Amino acid sequence: MRITSALAAAAVLALSAACGSGGSTGATGGGTASEAPAEPVKLNFLSLAWQKESIEANKALVDEWNKNNPTIQVTYVQGSWDNVNDQLVTQFEGGGAPDVIHNDSPALSGFATRGYLLDLKDKLPAELKSDIPQPAWDTVTFGAEGGVYGVPFLQESQVIIANKKLLDAAKVRVPTADNPWTWDEFAEVSKKLTKDGAFGVAWPMKSPVNKTLNLALNFNGTFFQTGADGKSTVKVGPEEKEVLQRIYNQIHVDKSADPKTLGMGTADPLPGFYKGEYAMLPVGVYLRQQVAEQAPEGFEWVTLPPLKGTSSNQGAVSQTLSVSADSKNPDEALKFISFFLNGPNQARLAKGDWLLPTSQKAATDPSITGAENGWDVATASVKNLVVAPFLKVNGYDEWKSKVATPVLQEYYAGKISLDDAAKRLVEEGNKVLERY
Amino acid sequence: MTATATRPVRTASRGPSPASRQRRELLVLMLPALVPVVLFSVGPLLYGIALAFTDARAGRNVEYGFNGLDNFTRLMGDGAFWQAMVTGLIWAVSVTVLTFLFGLGLALLLNENLRFRGFARVLAVVPWAMPPVVIGLMWRMVYHADAGILNGILGTDIDWLADFTFVLPAIILMGVWSGMPQTTVVLLAGLQNVPAELYEAGKIDGAGSWQRFRNITLPQLKPVIVAITSLDFVWNFNQFSLIWVLTQGGPGGRTTLPMVFAYQEAFRYGRFGSAAAFGVVIMIVVLAILGVYLWRQMREANA
Repeated sequence: MRITSALAAAAVLALSAACGSGGSTGATGGGTASEAPAEPVKLNFLSLAWQKESIEANKALVDEWNKNNPTIQVTYVQGSWDNVNDQLVTQFEGGGAPDVIHNDSPALSGFATRGYLLDLKDKLPAELKSDIPQPAWDTVTFGAEGGVYGVPFLQESQVIIANKKLLDAAKVRVPTADNPWTWDEFAEVSKKLTKDGAFGVAWPMKSPVNKTLNLALNFNGTFFQTGADGKSTVKVGPEEKEVLQRIYNQIHVDKSADPKTLGMGTADPLPGFYKGEYAMLPVGVYLRQQVAEQAPEGFEWVTLPPLKGTSSNQGAVSQTLSVSADSKNPDEALKFISFFLNGPNQARLAKGDWLLPTSQKAATDPSITGAENGWDVATASVKNLVVAPFLKVNGYDEWKSKVATPVLQEYYAGKISLDDAAKRLVEEGNKVLERY
Repeated sequence: MTATATRPVRTASRGPSPASRQRRELLVLMLPALVPVVLFSVGPLLYGIALAFTDARAGRNVEYGFNGLDNFTRLMGDGAFWQAMVTGLIWAVSVTVLTFLFGLGLALLLNENLRFRGFARVLAVVPWAMPPVVIGLMWRMVYHADAGILNGILGTDIDWLADFTFVLPAIILMGVWSGMPQTTVVLLAGLQNVPAELYEAGKIDGAGSWQRFRNITLPQLKPVIVAITSLDFVWNFNQFSLIWVLTQGGPGGRTTLPMVFAYQEAFRYGRFGSAAAFGVVIMIVVLAILGVYLWRQMREANA
């Protein structure tokens, strides 16, 4: 018994999309204009901006576009990182997905496999393509044909935000981008800073997986191996165990990390950090924004460059803009994206979100390269970003939430041993990945 | 039918009997009520059951087909599935039992001739008026690690919703709180239906208040108790929104109730067939547990 996609709505939508694209590809530009000049093309743009400055930057760019392009009107739709993927699945299935979709690269692989996203490979304007370096494009390239399913624009690297007074008092060497701390040195410093009831470091590990996996590349821990047939399996060997063990030791052996912060989300330890309860926070670069704006008067802080294992490599995850496969106006959508992500605009977005732009032009913008608020350190860390191996793993999301999140949470909480954790990550993980 | 058979003469002479005509009229009258039931309940239910035997999954223009019992066998071998069922049972049983005990206590209290009784009754119903999402958000503030009321009162420093040990008790407490008004109101209504003469007779015979409660109140309330606990159990076993707002099934799957699991299976991993199969399993489990429970209660009532 064969049933073709039974969801009536999806079928209707697919039909209408087929008609729509059939009509407009014949005469792009000219066709749409002559049909109804009074009727502008309407695009929905789902944005996940959440920091105040970032929302302002996004909305300002949309307004600017709408003013200059009366024939292509973009509506800003506010989304949230918390539930965007659930929302998108529902919208893709039921119809009515936004034309331009803001998301991040780990989510794209699944959506691309299911055919929800438009392959932009042959549609990208040369200027946009050359402005963004190939490693960034690699984070959004999936499948045997090497389809490009989004335009990467903001990248996050892991740095260390530290309390300057405590660092100075402990007289530790302040690392530079050229001469960063090694993990050993970091452990030593953390121990030194642990005194008078204060801890050296806080590891907020409510969502431990991406963070752990990105840092694991410091010791070349890839966590996955992908065979020739595109199937991936989990591997947790000595390289993968390095970072796991080191973080664990800080919490349970050296006792230089505050165990209370383990269950916290990334931004939750900030109040304790301001009070001096812990001296260092290994976090994403974007958290600088909150520190810069919320820290109490007289609180001095510095951004320290990423740590070094056998290398300083970190997994790169980028925020992306994609076009829905069902969009009736993909070409217009791409035009909007090209405008939205050109060099100067990316600099504005990066500044608004306190992240690192992929655009090479934007990266030279003086507003995000100065020493103020650690921008110089943050921008310098771009050179350490490599494609995170898990981006290419089909089923990574399920492995992450069903297996890796509970296992890593339990491991860091000291409930299971490293060998148990490794065993479960591999065995239960491979069972999950088998189905993809 | 029976009417026509037993009274053939009258049928022949006067057309359809009043009884069968009445039945037809009844059907016509019920139609407006039946159509939405078939359209919105029976239809989706059958569609869901059919889906459980296919490999339906999320995707654009996906073709899917019959795959027999694959979904079910795979579920049986999935550790996360069993964990969700166990968590679901622990949650549903504890919430139902605790809600009943507290609800009964509150109902007995509100049935007494207290001052401000009317006001107190209104207060007891307040949680009922709150949507689950609001309840969830409210309790998130109660349990907040830094700014929460609970840590403030107890002087502790526990992140209730992130702690592997405390998270289940914490959400059970919230479940009890949000389920109490309904149970209390139903039990209170039941209490008011117990004839006062029975208590008077008990008093004359010298029964103390505990004996009166055991031998008069409880037996008289029994039908109400059976009804409300069964309803509560089904309701709790299928709870989704409260948990979703509060923990999303975390930490580490400790609060993944059956419905949260089904939701993730369908909308996160896009396996509609498997999620539908899970729905069927839940339906069977709930029906089985309820069946045994109701059957025992009926047998006791008849004995």
